[in-house]
Amino acid sequence: MSGMRSITLGHYLPGNSLLHRLDPRAKLLSLLIIITALFLVNTFYGMLFFVFFLLAAFLSTKLPWRYFLRGLKPVLYIVLFTLVLHVLFTKGGQVFWRFGALTIEERGVYLGLFMTLRLILLVVTTLLITLTTSPIAFADGIEFLLRPLRFLRVPGHEIAMMMTIALRFIPTLMEESDKIRKAQMARGADFESGNVFRRAHSLVPLLVPLFVSAFRRADDLAVAMESRCYRGGENRTKMRQQQITPLDYLGVFTACGIAAAIVFTGV
Amino acid sequence: MSGTPFQVAALKRVTMSISSGEFVGIIGETGSGKSTLVQHFNGLLKPAGGEVLFEGKNIWTGEMNLRELRSRVALLFQFPEHQLFEETVFADVSFGPRNLGLSGNELEERVRFGLECMGLDFGVFKDRSPFQLSGGEKRRVAMAGILAMRPQVVILDEPTAGMDPLGRRQFMEQVSRLHREEKLTVILVTHNMEEVALLAERLFVFYHGEMLLQGRPADVFGADSLIKGTGLEIPPLSELLQRLCRQGKGVRTDIFTVNEAAQEILQLYRKECV
Amino acid sequence: MSKPIIQAVDLCYSYSLDEGREIRALDNLSLKIFEGEHVCLIGPNGSGKSTLARHLNALLLPAAGEVYVDGLLTALEEHCWEIRRRVGLVFQNPDNQIVATTVEEDVAFGPENLGVDPPLIRQRVAASLALVGLSDMARHAPHLLSGGQKQRLAIAGILAMRPRCLVLDEPTAMLDPRGRREVLATMRMLNRQEGVTVIHITHFMEETLEADRIIVMDRGRIACSGSPAEIFGGKIDLEPIGIDLPVIPALVRALRVGGLAVPSHILNVDQLVNYLC
Repeated sequence: MSGMRSITLGHYLPGNSLLHRLDPRAKLLSLLIIITALFLVNTFYGMLFFVFFLLAAFLSTKLPWRYFLRGLKPVLYIVLFTLVLHVLFTKGGQVFWRFGALTIEERGVYLGLFMTLRLILLVVTTLLITLTTSPIAFADGIEFLLRPLRFLRVPGHEIAMMMTIALRFIPTLMEESDKIRKAQMARGADFESGNVFRRAHSLVPLLVPLFVSAFRRADDLAVAMESRCYRGGENRTKMRQQQITPLDYLGVFTACGIAAAIVFTGV
Repeated sequence: MSGTPFQVAALKRVTMSISSGEFVGIIGETGSGKSTLVQHFNGLLKPAGGEVLFEGKNIWTGEMNLRELRSRVALLFQFPEHQLFEETVFADVSFGPRNLGLSGNELEERVRFGLECMGLDFGVFKDRSPFQLSGGEKRRVAMAGILAMRPQVVILDEPTAGMDPLGRRQFMEQVSRLHREEKLTVILVTHNMEEVALLAERLFVFYHGEMLLQGRPADVFGADSLIKGTGLEIPPLSELLQRLCRQGKGVRTDIFTVNEAAQEILQLYRKECV
Repeated sequence: MSKPIIQAVDLCYSYSLDEGREIRALDNLSLKIFEGEHVCLIGPNGSGKSTLARHLNALLLPAAGEVYVDGLLTALEEHCWEIRRRVGLVFQNPDNQIVATTVEEDVAFGPENLGVDPPLIRQRVAASLALVGLSDMARHAPHLLSGGQKQRLAIAGILAMRPRCLVLDEPTAMLDPRGRREVLATMRMLNRQEGVTVIHITHFMEETLEADRIIVMDRGRIACSGSPAEIFGGKIDLEPIGIDLPVIPALVRALRVGGLAVPSHILNVDQLVNYLC
């Protein structure tokens, strides 16, 4: 557990690249636009364009390859699964290979590669944002973007506050869960052996104390926050001031431009 | 955790031994490695180098079952009330013995033993929910859960942290009685100097992962500049008696209770007046 | 005589337990605390110290009687937030008071809630961190701090709101000796240097010896109050209340019983050594 010195959302890496310096609001907005565009792309050419665009963005961050590869690891299974599904079961066009009832056909390979590429690009785009945006900035960005939804009774400030508090307590709760795990092991608990059901049951002595402790912390924290005059988001100022620069406008317009180009050319 | 960029030597070449039936204290600041050390004693942590021997046998060679080891070398973590999870006190105290395969009458015997050792009436407490007890009661239930495993060695990591003076005294009296009556080996990890001075036969002082000093409390506290250099304090009585000694007054320095200290000082003055 | 910054008049408060029982936590309690004082509040478990502390910043409201903070009545809702600005409360658990993901963000939390101008918040954050000695940890994540540092962070967070009074409820209970020393030194400095009124609730008698005044509570009432020499000097019997004397005053009493006329104002090792030699 001592390796987790600073737990962050998608592993934020501080830096000074262009993407780092952009306002989180601009980044989040652009992220939404690019993701939408990724779902609208229809041809390989359009996809290729995204590959170049994102590659350029990635190179500008000067971040090492391995962080992106590590970020892609969790989705590796989904990506492979999608690829295999399409290659083996989507029919159409020229048949490349036949083995009994199984066939690999042109359309299957095409769709498989296309979908796989789309998935990978989705993850890469998200990683570009999370690796270059600190968790606090992230929460700030979300709070700002949720503000217009106030009319729909969406509690933007509260959501951002919850995110910040959750981020703050993740390392603390991880340390505590480690401690509880060891305490129960010291009483002979076994978290390793047995089938799925047995192992799930053995988690009770770990989860119950953790939950109880989390509620207790929440209680204490609420009292401490009230004592410091917290009363929700009304009339609250923020020390962190995010400045919108022309660069941010450029970023969002670029994203919009790309999305518009995709939609109107049907590429 | 070797090989990662966050590797920090938590313990450096520590060699020590504890005999059966001893009451020893391990003192040091937070971060001195004392908690890490004791987690090696019951196999929760594996040494990166060196050996841990229980009753002469290396606990990691495979001939010893770790679960069995943990029932004989019991460890009570700091703020142990945070590990309670069952619906009744009986169920929680019996968790340890159940994991050892006990059931039925023998199980009940163990639970009864554990609760009564900590001054909790079996009949009154067995069906109550642990979450509705007071802080002091919860802590004693947690301790009962450890004792119900009938260990030979009990390691207590800051057992009185956060307790009021009366609670602290009562708890340590119970521990002391257990040490005497059940012949338990007790390892007390603490930074409460007065507590450990009175009860421990031997002390080990840790600092930055190394064992700096070991010996009887009086000798260890005699090295007061060394102790203070590690961020710890020495008991006020020891401080007083040592300073009187340095001023030329011949007083014993191995005294840790107020009454004995008073006697010693009064004796000194009777001699001087004569 | 300075005016009382905190005043309780016939304060009563009860907790109700599950089986319909009620516990009288505060029983017609009256007290005055003056500006600039360093007061220690002691008493056995259940004497009502923490309950009283929570009345001082309007977290709890009296069932009967009144509490005035700087002249403001706590029972009036419109005073609530101003009272909480003027009286800051530091709690026992260092972790469960920290809200933000970095040290300076957490110190800014209070002023942000008060709607202070952002540039001014930055100034206050820097000043508060400097006062408690945490300036070089400003960008750190809170879980990397030691216990003593976390409590100092909590204090800084309150200082940034420019309080008049600091109430600390057993702030050192979960700390090691070094952390305890840091927090006590910070409290002392704030009182002597910055003129902040300090109300310190503690179980550790050793921590009370440098206070201006000690208030002893027993079963919801004030049992007695006076300087440390007066309280621990032997004239007041603390045993029925359930309070132990600190080590050196206890030794002094034993010596006096044994016939050695040690003056009762001696409270620490230095003074005793000086007397005996």
